[in-house]
Amino acid sequence: MEAYLGIDVGSVTTKLAVLDKNDKLVTHIYLLTQGKPIEMVQQGLKQIKQQLPKDVNLRSVATTGSARYLAGVIVGADLVKNEITSHAVAALQYNPEAQTIIEIGGQDSKIIIVRDGIVTDFGMNTVCAAGTGSFLDHQALRLNMTIEEFAKRALDSDTPVRIAGRCTVFAESDMIHKQQMGHRTEDILYGLCQALVRNYLNNVGLGKEIKPPIVFQGGVAFNQAIVKALQEELNTEIIVPLHHEVMGAIGAALLAHERIADNNNGSKFKGFGVSEVKYHTSSFICKACPNQCEIAQISLNGQVLARWGGRCDIWERDPSSQKL
Amino acid sequence: MIKVGIPRALLYYQYYPMWKTFFEEMGAEVVVSPPTTQTMVSEGSSRVVADTCLPVKVFCGHVLSLVEKCDYIFIPAVRSVKRRVYNCSKFLGLPDMTKAVIPESPPILDIDIDVNQGKRKLYHNIYKLGRHFTWNPFKVRQAAIAAWQSFLIYQRLMSCHRLTPPQAIAKMTGEIEPKAPSLTQTTIALIGHPYLLYDEHINHRLIHRLEQADNKILTPETLTKEELQSAIARLVGRAYWTYEDEIVGAGGHYLQSGADGVIGLMTFGCGPDSLMMDIVRRASKLGTTPFMSLTLEEHTSEAGVTTRLEAFLDMIHRRKRRQVKVCA
Repeated sequence: MEAYLGIDVGSVTTKLAVLDKNDKLVTHIYLLTQGKPIEMVQQGLKQIKQQLPKDVNLRSVATTGSARYLAGVIVGADLVKNEITSHAVAALQYNPEAQTIIEIGGQDSKIIIVRDGIVTDFGMNTVCAAGTGSFLDHQALRLNMTIEEFAKRALDSDTPVRIAGRCTVFAESDMIHKQQMGHRTEDILYGLCQALVRNYLNNVGLGKEIKPPIVFQGGVAFNQAIVKALQEELNTEIIVPLHHEVMGAIGAALLAHERIADNNNGSKFKGFGVSEVKYHTSSFICKACPNQCEIAQISLNGQVLARWGGRCDIWERDPSSQKL
Repeated sequence: MIKVGIPRALLYYQYYPMWKTFFEEMGAEVVVSPPTTQTMVSEGSSRVVADTCLPVKVFCGHVLSLVEKCDYIFIPAVRSVKRRVYNCSKFLGLPDMTKAVIPESPPILDIDIDVNQGKRKLYHNIYKLGRHFTWNPFKVRQAAIAAWQSFLIYQRLMSCHRLTPPQAIAKMTGEIEPKAPSLTQTTIALIGHPYLLYDEHINHRLIHRLEQADNKILTPETLTKEELQSAIARLVGRAYWTYEDEIVGAGGHYLQSGADGVIGLMTFGCGPDSLMMDIVRRASKLGTTPFMSLTLEEHTSEAGVTTRLEAFLDMIHRRKRRQVKVCA
C-alpha cells in the first residue's frame, strides 16, 4: 500500500498521520510530548507501524510543528514545513470553502486568512501565551480539576463572569477575586473561556478580516466551551473538523504527497527501525565569537547527525565534523 | 594620530562614509565598532532604563565596545535633516544620554544637525566640531565639502547600482567586491530603518536567510527620491518623521510594484515605527501584494522569526504555483 506520513511535534503533543494515495486518512496517533520530543516521535512511529498493513510503502515523509527540524533529523524527513502552511493545507483539503482558519495549540495560536483557496494573511501569537491552551491548563490546575472536567462544567454556566484576560497573571488574581465574591465555579470557568477568546481575537486576530466559513483546529478545539465562546463572540458558526487535533500532521502528509507529485524522488525516510535506536543529545556554548550561542547537537553511535542553535552556520554547515 | 570612534549602530548605516571622510580629512583615524554581538546587547541593556528601545540599547553596547579604543567618540544629535520634518526624541538626545549612562566614555564629539535653524547655524556647528582638530576654518570647510561628496557617491552606489548600505560601504572602503544580484523568480522587499535591516544580530540574519531561500532582496535604499516621494504623497501627503521614506515611502512603492511580498521590520516599543508600519499595513489591505511585519526585541525568539518567514514565503510560492496551474 502506498502511503504518506506526516509528523507534527508540538510543545504539548506529538501527532502522526498516515494518508493513502487518495489522501484519505488511514490512521493517526496523538501523544503527549511530555518534554521528550525524540522519545515521543520514536514511540509514535512504533505505535503507528502496528496499525498499518504489512505491505505499507511510505513514499514520502514530512515533519512540522515547533520541533520539526529535530523530528526531521530523527526520521529522515523529505520535507520540513512550518505549522502555518501545514494547517492551512489540511484545512483547505477538508473545507475548500474556508475563509478563516483558527488554530489554538499548547503554546502557539494562529490565525490564517484564506481567500479563494489561497492564504492571503496570517498571524501568530508573540511572546504572550495568554491566548493559548496552556492558559486554560494552568487555570484548570489552579481550580484543581482536569481540563476535560473544566470544559464540561464551563458549559453549565448561565451567567458567566467577566474576567480580565489580558495576562495570565492578572486573570488569575481576577479569578481569585471573583471566587471570593461568591460567584459559581461554572460561571468563572466560562468567563475564563471568554477571556481566552477575547485575548486571542484582540492579539492574534488584530487587524485581520475574519469571515465565515471559519474552521477551528488544534488541541483546544476539543474544548466545547471555547467553541461556544468563539461562536458567541464572532456571531457565526464555527466548524470543528473531525480530526482537528491532528490537522497539522495531516497537512504535513498532504505536503509530502505533493512533493512526490512535483518531483518523484525517492524518500530519505530511515524506516520504522529508528524507533529502536538510542539518540544522544548534548549542547555546548560556542566560543568562536562573543555571541555565546548555545549549540545543540543530536548524535547516533557517536556520529553527530545535526547541530543547530547558532547565529551563524559554522556548526550547521558540516555536522559530521567534530571540531571547528 | 587622534582616533575617532564611530559606533556601528543607528545612523551609521546612513552616514558612515560622510563621517569617515570628514574625520580623515581632519587628520584623524576612524575606528568603527565591530558588528553587534550578544555581549554588546547585554552590556548596553544593563546601562539604560528598562523602557529604552532595542536599537538604543545596541547603540550603548557599541559605545561601550569603543571605550579605551579611541580618543573621541562621535555621536551627532540629528534633530532634523529636512524642514519641518522631525526626528525621534531618542536621536535628539543621543549624545547627552550616552554621556549620562556611560560616564567612562571618551569625550563625546557632538554636533547639532537641525536644518530648521538655517544654514548659518549648521555651518557654525560644523566649524565648532572641526575646532577639536584645527583652528583653520578653511581646512574644516574643505573636509566638509569632501564629506558631502562621499555622501553623494554613497547614495549613488545605493540608488543607481542597487547596493545595500553594507555593500556600498564595503565598496567605498575597498574591503570586498559586492556580489552580483542573483536572478531568481521571487522578489522580497524589506522595509524598515537601516539599523534594523543591516544589523544581522538584531534581525536574526534576515537578508542571509532570504537569500539562502533563493529570493532577490529589495531595500528602501535602492529606490530613488522621486519614487519614495510619490509613494509618501499618495499614502500620507506629507512626511512628518525624518525616516518616513524607508517605511511609508518604500512600503507604499513596493506594495504597488516590483515585489512579490513586502516584509516590514520594526522594534517593539518604537512609537514612530508603530504608526508608520500601520499606515503600510492599511495600504496593503487595498492591494494584493502580501505584507508581513516582524517586531524585533531582545526577547524575540529565533523560532518565531523562522516560522513566520517560512510561512510568508510559502504563502507567496503557493500563490504563484496556483497562478501557473490556472494559466496552464
